[in-house]
Amino acid sequence: MADYIKYVDVTKCDGCRACMVACKNWNDLPAEPEEFQGSVQSHANVTANTWNVLSFIEHEDSKGNLDYLFRHSSCFHCSDAACVKVCPEEAMHYTDFGTVNVDSDKCVGCGYCEQNCPFDVVQLATYKDKNGKEYKKAQKCTMCVDRIEEGMQPACVTTCHTDAMEFGTKEEMIKKAEKRLSEIKDKYPNAMIYNPEGVGGTHTIYVLAEKPSVYGLPEKPKVPTSAVVWKDYAQPIGKMMLGATSMALVGAFVSSKLFNKEGKGHEEDGGGSHE
Amino acid sequence: MSKTQYSGVKVKRFSKGFVIAHAVNAISFFALYITALPMYTEWFDWLYPVLGGPEGARLLHRIFAIAFITPTFIWLIMDPKGFLRWGKELVTWKKRDLQFFTEFVKELFGFKFKHVKQTFFNAGEKINSIIQILTAILIIGSGFPMWFPDLFPKAVVQWAYVAHNIGFGLAIAVVVGHIYLSVIHKNSRPGYTGVITGEVPAEWAKDHYTEWYEEEVKKGNFPDLDKDKNKKKGA
Ligand code: SF4
Ligand code: SF4
Ligand code: SF4
Repeated sequence: MADYIKYVDVTKCDGCRACMVACKNWNDLPAEPEEFQGSVQSHANVTANTWNVLSFIEHEDSKGNLDYLFRHSSCFHCSDAACVKVCPEEAMHYTDFGTVNVDSDKCVGCGYCEQNCPFDVVQLATYKDKNGKEYKKAQKCTMCVDRIEEGMQPACVTTCHTDAMEFGTKEEMIKKAEKRLSEIKDKYPNAMIYNPEGVGGTHTIYVLAEKPSVYGLPEKPKVPTSAVVWKDYAQPIGKMMLGATSMALVGAFVSSKLFNKEGKGHEEDGGGSHE
Repeated sequence: MSKTQYSGVKVKRFSKGFVIAHAVNAISFFALYITALPMYTEWFDWLYPVLGGPEGARLLHRIFAIAFITPTFIWLIMDPKGFLRWGKELVTWKKRDLQFFTEFVKELFGFKFKHVKQTFFNAGEKINSIIQILTAILIIGSGFPMWFPDLFPKAVVQWAYVAHNIGFGLAIAVVVGHIYLSVIHKNSRPGYTGVITGEVPAEWAKDHYTEWYEEEVKKGNFPDLDKDKNKKKGA
């Protein structure tokens, strides 16, 4: 199936937060009252129960004018997703649409994904089972996969009244982003398309009016080197080593049985070799 | 391991402190290994129900992690002299230690070999100790950022997973060898009972740790086996 992308043109966003509400609504996410953040922004970052946060940034542009920047922020659905790489349970997985989803039945709440997401997106939510015992599951934006499967668009996209968001195939959306970028370059000389290479490109791409760091985004996000060393080298070598050690032991055991049948291997014949 | 042909004379090899420390170390290591397996790879997910689910496995892993830190202190407090001797031997390397390995490989695979005079800890045990100390540092040191990720920078937490993996990979490889030698390999086997009871057959001790044995004989702590039995070929 083709890859689907959510295209976000932040320059069209007016900060209405309808996407936040739509997300909570569709996904049945509980409200999370927050302390005052010192700005209009409601939550500091996305959380396990708030998969979509509108960030509000007061930015002084190169001419010294105050610019109010908005960004719909949620999971990027990386093509080379660190969360998928490190998940030991295959709970984090790629969907047929190229997006990334958590299989709650498989998730064991280990938090490896949380520690490795380069965008700080995925987090663990705490639940209580019927015996009152607490357990954890990773949660994040699903790209409304349940809607996509039914041929609908993500809730946040549907609800956006300025058309700041659109959803479609990769080619279409990238074309759209490029076109839009050329339109706004005059007004925003620092504008760019945010679709970082280091994570293989993403399935939520942005047209940003300013440099990523202005939006609190990493300039060059990548799958953490530690995650690569861990998952692509240390763990496979570890498994191999275990195998090799066991084989060596079996070899040693068999050969000492063969050559040392009567316990004659010992010159002094003092070693106890008596089965 | 049924009967042995040893004369029955036993000598004290390990102090109570060492026996306890060793047992705590062995039990907690094994428990850590079991509770970690399902967290390490999905192959072992069938262990989750046994361990009380992921939360149970994590809790047990943390309890045994604390137990795993204690043996050093148990040994140090209960038997400081033995502990210091260990430390001293670990940093003392002589030609005989290298010879030991050549002979040891022959012994391991059941070929003819001769004993190289060793002190209290033989070269193999020294290597085992050194690797285990290093891996323990790696495992314990990386365990903290994994347990308390909020207290550490993200990069430290991320690298901790790598260090933990490498640490326990090495540790397990060494432990498997260590267990093989003590439990299965027949020439080393008396060491296994020794580490539980603290005592080993005198002849075995003399063969395997000659220098140490002779020292103790000189001090009058151990019987002089050569006196009763003069037919030994030189080792
Ligand atoms: S943004 Fe984070 S949680 Fe989303 S796919 Fe990428 S690594 Fe996974
Ligand atoms: S918390 Fe869940 S989704 Fe995240 S890595 Fe662990 S098992 Fe996978
Ligand atoms: S795609 Fe769905 S889950 Fe993701 S932010 Fe939009 S509404 Fe929320």
